[in-house]
Amino acid sequence: MSNENNKLNGKDLINIGVFAAIYMVIMVAISMLGFIPIFMILLDVLVPLICAIPFMLFLTRAKKFGMIWIFTILIGLLQLLTGMGPYAIITSFVFGLLADLIAKSGKYQSRSKAILATTVFSGWVWGDFIPMFVNKNYFDSLSNYADGYAESLKKLCPPWMLIVLFFAAFIAGFIGALIGQKVLKKHFEKAGIA
Amino acid sequence: MTDDIMPGAVHDRKGVVLDPRTKLLLLLMISVFSWSSIGGRAGWIILPVITLIPVILLYFSRKWKGAVISTLLFLAVNLISYTDLNKLSGGVYYIILMIVGIFGRLMPCIIMAYYLVYTTTVSEFVAAMEKMHVSEKITIPFSVIFRFFPTVREQMHFIKDAMDMRGIKIGGKHSSKYIEYRLIPLMICSVKTGDELSAASLTRCLGGSVRRTNICKIGFGFPDYVIILILIASVAASVIVRLV
Repeated sequence: MSNENNKLNGKDLINIGVFAAIYMVIMVAISMLGFIPIFMILLDVLVPLICAIPFMLFLTRAKKFGMIWIFTILIGLLQLLTGMGPYAIITSFVFGLLADLIAKSGKYQSRSKAILATTVFSGWVWGDFIPMFVNKNYFDSLSNYADGYAESLKKLCPPWMLIVLFFAAFIAGFIGALIGQKVLKKHFEKAGIA
Repeated sequence: MTDDIMPGAVHDRKGVVLDPRTKLLLLLMISVFSWSSIGGRAGWIILPVITLIPVILLYFSRKWKGAVISTLLFLAVNLISYTDLNKLSGGVYYIILMIVGIFGRLMPCIIMAYYLVYTTTVSEFVAAMEKMHVSEKITIPFSVIFRFFPTVREQMHFIKDAMDMRGIKIGGKHSSKYIEYRLIPLMICSVKTGDELSAASLTRCLGGSVRRTNICKIGFGFPDYVIILILIASVAASVIVRLV
């Protein structure tokens, strides 16, 4: 690869991998709460809220176009490995690109654009929740449980919930980004890694 | 530490060895079948059948612990889904419903992911990605994730122990500081380790302009064809059931 400044080199790609690993570990640790059924829905808020902190730190390293996008796509692909279904690949593809464009418009320096990018990036989480709403046929296949499960799921998450989750992810992402900004100032700049 | 996930070197290559591409295809199919309605009414038989593939393969790869655990999970979820528990009262019934409904769908993918990650070496994985012409912009971060994931997890446990001693734990004296005091040290030391890793890889010419060679020989064999046939058959079955 060339030494041009705007092209991704090995070091950038390794940085993406390192931060994606940190992001995934933290996400998996939070997701353990999801085994309690009600918390499954709450993850839509908790994951963007807490994972915005490592993402904000990643943004201080991402100075070239493509890094944020690749990062998000990788997170989406890894959802397959954690069994969250294929929809997150689509949402991560879209929101990753948007977040990257926003950060680019601030030349990867602007603090406020970084907060906005983190907010938009958080939208990928929504993809993990789509399958809970869209495939009604699944309940047909669970012969003995069809009625009961469909009923209780309907009670817990009616269709409009999907729209609430969509916006909740962004709001949580925004609050997370503000916290992340404070944490960057308080800890990481002092430690010299931001 | 690294022989945990995605072993770095080729050892322990006994039993049935699949091409990584077959494993990826299987993972994708299991994920699609368990989370989308593509299977339709035939889904209730197709999903257990293709979930059984990684469960059996774990035995062939001699991952005994994982094999036994996944067999038990597989049996539990499937037995519960097909027994009639309607007589049970309120709370317990709903909890079982949720376990079957949500965990029953996570379980197939988790078993397959376990099989994929613990029986594929990083070299094999990279070789397969190269054959599929996936850009190194995806393969390099991906292999870093697999190399780095166990390290981060290990550090997380050390930090947990250190913070437990100082009373920073859920229900401890300083539980309000829990998240901050667990996350920040984890991120700082992971970033430092990551920088060292990247320096080490760059000295070995990762991301250089020369094409990387690979000692691993991968290719499709008899077991791969059997699994691909089963997958084609299950897609065909779900299409036929839908049309009829």
